[in-house]
Amino acid sequence: MKIPRILDILGLSGLPCFLQVLLYGLAGLIIGMGLVMVRISNAASYLYDSPETCINCHIMTDAYASWQRGSHGHVATCNDCHVPHENMVSKYGFKALDGTKHSAVFTLGTEPQVLELSATAVPVVQKNCIRCHQKQLEMVRLSSSKEQACWKCHQTIHGPLRSLSASPPELRPPLPKAGFEFNPIGETKNEPKE
Amino acid sequence: MNPKNDSQTLSNKKDALRIPIWLGLLILLICCTAVVVLGLLGVSIMERRWEAQRPAMVHRPIDEWETDNAVWGENYPREYETYLEQENDETKTLYGGSYPRDYLEEDPYQVILFAGYGFSKEYLQARGHVYSVEDVNKTARIKKPFNAATCYTCKSPDVPRLMNEMGITEFYAANFHDLTDQINHPIGCLDCHNPATLTLRVSRPALKEAFESMGKDVSEAGLQDMRSLVCAQCHVEYYFKPEPKNYLSFPWKNGTTVEAMIEYYDDIDFADYVHPISKTRIIKAQHPDYELYSTGIHSYRNVSCSDCHMPYRSEGGVKFSDHHVQSPLLNISNSCAVCHRWSEEEIKTRVEGIQTKVANAMMMSEEALVKAHFDVAAAIQAGVSDEQLAPIRTLLRHGQFCWDYISASNGMGFHSPQESMRILGLALQKAQEARLQTARLLAYKGISEPPKYPDVSTREKAFDVATRFVNDEPIQLLPQGTAGILN
Repeated sequence: MKIPRILDILGLSGLPCFLQVLLYGLAGLIIGMGLVMVRISNAASYLYDSPETCINCHIMTDAYASWQRGSHGHVATCNDCHVPHENMVSKYGFKALDGTKHSAVFTLGTEPQVLELSATAVPVVQKNCIRCHQKQLEMVRLSSSKEQACWKCHQTIHGPLRSLSASPPELRPPLPKAGFEFNPIGETKNEPKE
Repeated sequence: MNPKNDSQTLSNKKDALRIPIWLGLLILLICCTAVVVLGLLGVSIMERRWEAQRPAMVHRPIDEWETDNAVWGENYPREYETYLEQENDETKTLYGGSYPRDYLEEDPYQVILFAGYGFSKEYLQARGHVYSVEDVNKTARIKKPFNAATCYTCKSPDVPRLMNEMGITEFYAANFHDLTDQINHPIGCLDCHNPATLTLRVSRPALKEAFESMGKDVSEAGLQDMRSLVCAQCHVEYYFKPEPKNYLSFPWKNGTTVEAMIEYYDDIDFADYVHPISKTRIIKAQHPDYELYSTGIHSYRNVSCSDCHMPYRSEGGVKFSDHHVQSPLLNISNSCAVCHRWSEEEIKTRVEGIQTKVANAMMMSEEALVKAHFDVAAAIQAGVSDEQLAPIRTLLRHGQFCWDYISASNGMGFHSPQESMRILGLALQKAQEARLQTARLLAYKGISEPPKYPDVSTREKAFDVATRFVNDEPIQLLPQGTAGILN
């Protein structure tokens, strides 16, 4: 009654031949499909800070459009405000947790129409506001007033309306390419037939 | 060497490499599941990326007179699915919702105010658009011999088709019960949309004619205005002109304020019924939702009916209007919260606070109106002449229209809170003025005690009282031994 060693399992040598072939084949399929998935989900882009990463799916297109044309469009990226910048661990840990939540919500189609900052996001964004606007805040802080969320007053950083559908279609950015060259997704437009 | 030992070593070696078959099958199962899950995820990612390309696809061209909403639904599944959500007829808000709330049960005063008229028999809160045909066919208010086909005008997309076939005047003049077989589909797509281009359009002649009467052209309206005007085809104050027979018209010639409408109705001396208690010629208000909304802050800021009642939604890359037309209070986060950055609870509390103030003012004016009807009846019993009562009846006629203008409107005044309170103030002022003047006339007859107001605290009691007056067997309202001292 020996516990099978890892090499034995990987070797699969004791199994009938057809099962071994099947298992290797399936493992190959998984790895292959995983690679396809990395490509079509633009997975590598999540390691970087490009704002286009946030519109890999449709939910953030309105946030993107309003950011791009807003006061922060030329000076800050999504990540500058929305992920922590204390150290690499907090940054990538936050990205991983938040990203997993986002992809689950979008896959299941349970997103709300009006987005609110989550409880974990509130201190992150607040710290990032202060990170850049420290100077303007010195006088306010000296007055020892109670700290408020910046966006309680500065409400229109992402435009006056809050809705996934707030921006008109012509202002909405197209999704970044995430297919293979031979697959012209997003380039054909079906016109309504009369 | 012992061959037996040899073979044992060999088989031991073999055993060391052999994993049990169940483990192999387990690995196979795990691999399969992983492939399936990854595959589904891949399909999901591709589908969601494709979504933005899909909405423009028309599977089946829609006929010019296609009245079946399900056929439209094949091409526009998101709109149709949300439209069908209107089948829920159990939603409740503080003052509205889609369940058939029984106004007469909740508020027996209305039995007195509508005495002798259909609304004193049955007055239910309307259910969603999908029930329009079913509900109009079974209401107690349209029973033989009452038979105006005009009552169908706002109930079905079959109506524009029939108007096109029969002619508009002929449709209105027809018999309701003769058309029942041809009115099959509830309020739906064709009522607001052009089937070829899906643009919004006005399908009912009454709104076009009302604009013409004000010297305006409804076809000049832009998209944002149309997102309210398609609703204004029905959610307005209207009446049936006697000539041409039962011709549906809006009293907008002098404007769309309550005063302008009263002036209009007085000019043509229109009345829906003569009140059996006070013999007042009453105008029944319908539901002037659009007119009331037009005086409010949301209209001023160019927020349309659809922005709150059918807010835009995004499903992936697809933006569409939520066709589940309902109270925004049932959908606060997607309608109000787009502009108002407060919590859902805060918004709800604020709206209900405004509505409750309107509801309280409404009840005050209602009570004054009920008493005013009985005061006038007492004056009749005391022998006061019709000539002396004429200005009082005019006050009562205008006061009841003002009250009904808000009472019959949807939204308990929220479409325009200040205007609603102003109009209810008018209703109360006119009712009390009528009571004051009646009291003077009664005093002149030597009656200084108040009339003996009958008990109308339940729907049944109120209905019995109303029936006595309808049958011309009025309840004696004058205090004993005071009648006709000066007669």
